[in-house]
Amino acid sequence: MPSESARMTTAAEARFRLDKPNARPRRVLVVALDRASEPVVQGLAQQGWSRASFFTAAAFGAARPGAEFSMPGWLKDLAGRTKDLIDEVAGADLVVMVAGAGGDAQAAAIIGEACQVRRVMTTGLVLGGASAAASPTLAQLRPWCNMLVAASADDYIADMLTALRA
Amino acid sequence: MLRKEQNDLLTQTGPGTPLGRLFRCYWLPALLAEELPENECPPVRVKLLSERLLAFRDSEGRYGLIDEFCAHRGVSLWFGRNEESGLRCPYHGWKYDTTGQCIEVPSEPAESGFCRKIKLTSYPLIERGGILWTYMGPPELQPPPPAWEFTDVPESHRFVAKRWQECNWLQAMEGGIDSSHVSFLHSGELNRDPLFKGSRGNQYNLGDMKPHFEVVESPGGLYIGARRNAENGNYYWRITPWVMPSFTMIAPRADHPVHGHFWIPIDDENCWAWSFDYRVTRPLTPEQVQAMKDGKGIYVTFVPGTFRPAANKDNDYLIDRAAQKAGRTYSGVWGIAMQDASLQESMGPIVDRTKENLVSTDNGIIMARHGLMRAAKALAEKGTLPPGVDPAHQRVRSAAVVLPPDQPFKDAAKDALVAKPGVAHASV
Repeated sequence: MPSESARMTTAAEARFRLDKPNARPRRVLVVALDRASEPVVQGLAQQGWSRASFFTAAAFGAARPGAEFSMPGWLKDLAGRTKDLIDEVAGADLVVMVAGAGGDAQAAAIIGEACQVRRVMTTGLVLGGASAAASPTLAQLRPWCNMLVAASADDYIADMLTALRA
Repeated sequence: MLRKEQNDLLTQTGPGTPLGRLFRCYWLPALLAEELPENECPPVRVKLLSERLLAFRDSEGRYGLIDEFCAHRGVSLWFGRNEESGLRCPYHGWKYDTTGQCIEVPSEPAESGFCRKIKLTSYPLIERGGILWTYMGPPELQPPPPAWEFTDVPESHRFVAKRWQECNWLQAMEGGIDSSHVSFLHSGELNRDPLFKGSRGNQYNLGDMKPHFEVVESPGGLYIGARRNAENGNYYWRITPWVMPSFTMIAPRADHPVHGHFWIPIDDENCWAWSFDYRVTRPLTPEQVQAMKDGKGIYVTFVPGTFRPAANKDNDYLIDRAAQKAGRTYSGVWGIAMQDASLQESMGPIVDRTKENLVSTDNGIIMARHGLMRAAKALAEKGTLPPGVDPAHQRVRSAAVVLPPDQPFKDAAKDALVAKPGVAHASV
């Protein structure tokens, strides 16, 4: 009699794996932090995603006394509407922050702080690979990202979002 | 998640497939040099990339890797007589040299030259670092010999082994890229295994179950850095190189030898997990070598006379539920290699990646898949040679370092990630 493991790991047995969804859709926020990343994020937004939303980092204000966060912030969706950062982050499973190599990613600190408070995972993506020019951008993102990626191919972000079921 | 067509592309490596073409750009480990220990020794069956081949060493010490089957009636040449500079089919005496050229057909007049019209497919087979390597691509594109650091150190400084893993190569290799599983699956071994224990890094591993990751491209593939908290606000980094298509190296621990793997497709439902350990600056100790032979570290013990692990799917991997419950092993399976292999084989021969739910910390895996697909496409459409073929891309190292929080590993550990003769690995 073959063992349980031998019987159950055949290609024939693989046919009996349940063919039903095993996860609910995730909400992924993709935020362009600088000008270089805006067209990339805009291009991504044209593709079909289940629950991904695309923004640019719009503005950040002065801290209010007693506020939960050091600074309020707003995102701008691709139609130009302003959205409250905290509201958007609160409903997200993952926030992806995108910047070009050498770009100004200061907004990562504000968005990252909001994600930390709301316990939302963060991924930083620097376009253009890990060149010397990317180092300052990576440094701005590093404290605020659970995962930091430097990718030379612009199409990596689409593959990543597909892999993450965005 | 991968779409079905992407999963098919990455898991099928037979002749004519896009990833099969990619694999055929590289020198691949085919068999251990010790499997052909002397001239005129018995030939060895070798299946690689879904091709049935036969390796032999002739009377002059030349290695050959040829089509397994005689061109006459399709007999397996594994039964062949290895004699006088060739391998003779025992059925009707046809004889082949190490290039697959038929050099004798006894039933035909020698003067007819008939035998020169018969040639089996053959691939070059060369020895480097205790391994016989083959190149299965177009002869005109044959790259320089492999240049991995462990192949360059003296024999006394390294240990090499292979084991049969009963699943597709990719799900096996992805385990080598994913270092976040170590703190769970291998937690029992970190403080017990003689080739792992005693490292300060183990305590960082066990003390921080939610590492941060950083993935950067290298000329041959990727460096994947896992960052955990260390003392005084510093970070402990474990840096794993992946070189295309299937080389991974584990970050070192304390003064133990450094180890790594190649994951080589046998066919689409089986692969060879090649494992190596080495030290650059001094020989392995007899105790270390014995531990490796005893199945410690990343090694296994075998069903006698085979490369099949003694703990395998036929005996449910000798799972020890009491040890699992008591926390002596996390999964109940003993040994690092079989802890990985048992779970990877449990996914089925080829895991259906349309059903998986990756998370952001899986970006190393996502990026490796992306790189493989991109390279396969560039090769198919433009003939572009993929990363990792150039010997310079193979001169990589893993590293374990403690760095101040403001120093990225790709800059601060830059020198530690490049092979340097006579310089030990950076380790914690």
